[in-house]
Amino acid sequence: MIQLFGVSKKYGTFRDALVDVSFRIDPGEFVFLTGPSGAGKSTLLRLLFLEEPPSAGQIIVNGRNIGVLPQSQIPYLRRTMGVVFQDFKLIGRKTVFENIAFVQNVLGLARVEQKRRAYHVLKRVGLHHLMNAYPDELSGGEQQRVAIARAIVNEPTVLLADEPTGNLDPVLAEEIMRLFVEFNIRGTTVVVATHDVEMIRRMGKRTLTLERGHLHDPDRTREGAPIVREAPFLPLN
Amino acid sequence: MPRARYVVSEAWSVARSSPRQTAAAVTLIALALYVPGLLALVSHNLSRLSVTEAEPTAVVLTLEAQADARALSARLATDGRIKTVRIVGSDAALERFRRAYPDLGAALSDLKEAPFPPSIEVVLKPGAPPRTATEIAAAARLWPGVDSVESEEEFSRRFRDAIALVRNAGLFLGAILTLAAVLSVASAVRLALDLHRDEVGIMRLMGATESAIRAPFWLYATAEGFVGGGLALGFLYATYRFATHWLARDPHPVLAVLWVGFLPIPTALLLPAAGAAAGLFGSLLSLGRKETRRVTRIA
Repeated sequence: MIQLFGVSKKYGTFRDALVDVSFRIDPGEFVFLTGPSGAGKSTLLRLLFLEEPPSAGQIIVNGRNIGVLPQSQIPYLRRTMGVVFQDFKLIGRKTVFENIAFVQNVLGLARVEQKRRAYHVLKRVGLHHLMNAYPDELSGGEQQRVAIARAIVNEPTVLLADEPTGNLDPVLAEEIMRLFVEFNIRGTTVVVATHDVEMIRRMGKRTLTLERGHLHDPDRTREGAPIVREAPFLPLN
Repeated sequence: MPRARYVVSEAWSVARSSPRQTAAAVTLIALALYVPGLLALVSHNLSRLSVTEAEPTAVVLTLEAQADARALSARLATDGRIKTVRIVGSDAALERFRRAYPDLGAALSDLKEAPFPPSIEVVLKPGAPPRTATEIAAAARLWPGVDSVESEEEFSRRFRDAIALVRNAGLFLGAILTLAAVLSVASAVRLALDLHRDEVGIMRLMGATESAIRAPFWLYATAEGFVGGGLALGFLYATYRFATHWLARDPHPVLAVLWVGFLPIPTALLLPAAGAAAGLFGSLLSLGRKETRRVTRIA
């Protein structure tokens, strides 16, 4: 479960990226995060996987208040989440297999197990025949699918995707979204940030809309009323 | 803790990504450790000369070739503070040198004349007053047939001072050069970190712990230092072999003493160990928590 209570993010003194954002995403939900460029979608995702701290408010992920999480615990929380970046963030000098396996490598998994898992996730995204290829030998769509395979290899409970179809043609975009739906059906909570309104309409999933850092009608489409702010608002600093 | 195989492969990849910086850091470490190593070698060989005997010689009278050693010896023996008087002829001195420095014996055998003049060694009685050696030396200098006189006090002091000077110079130069090596490793690691900042950023986002991110850099720097220290040891041994080879062909009584033997193995192994320690320290210096965060935040 993901919960945000009055979360704000400021860059400098004047730029408010997010303003008093509150919402709840239940386990196993599929949610789109949408809004125009600069609305705060990527910022919100960065806060969720702790790339940046919020300026105010609280964020609960899988029952843990991540704002007060000790620095040493952050990697362990991140391992419960899969993240797909808009620019893929693949390591150019590593093969597809190594890109997927390196986190498992760090965890100390046996190489055989790493290969088994990597093969399994690559098969799910249809790239098991390219295990030994390097990222620059792949098309944009293939790189995106490798990034997705890397995000799901640890079987995360939450999958965050930032504009995962932004660089893809409509056919590939559909294919990627089908993959996300498949993961969601298996129980993974999926949050996809996108400004592709047409795709959101076609998918018919819950949508959170951000505009200039403000969240519009959070949860109203599902529950008819804004989420109750039962948790105390504690300053982070 | 991260898996060893992962750490080793990543460290190797870091080394390969910046070969020039790696080579420069290794060379600097080798140079930094070679200089103090060389002084340690010289100091080690000088120390062999100062090994104390059971009955230490208090005064040594170096005689002229025609001097009557027996008469001078008898004259000394009349002094009640003296326990024994030993005449050491040229041949006996040569034999003694060969026993002390077997490696150089062959070089001296080619000489046509005896390299060591005859001498008389004086051993004092245990209860002799403190300045006895100096007084006997001062008196003996005036005797005919005596070329020079060294009292144990003067000689030992000068000798100890010389060894201490060499040792301190080694320590001083070693400290300065090691500091330079540490800074060089630190900058090589920082550069490597900068080259890998995207990867480090991605690894962090994927849930890699700080120790998993830093361990390859620690290993890279430690290995860099170890290799540098190993090279310094290799160069030092090459220098020693060259010097002994050169002295065997062209013997020199003073220089020969400095190249009698190589460093004992435990001392020699200190060079790569010191290199590894310098490398590790350099990496710790450059991989402070704030530093890695500063570098990777840009990613």
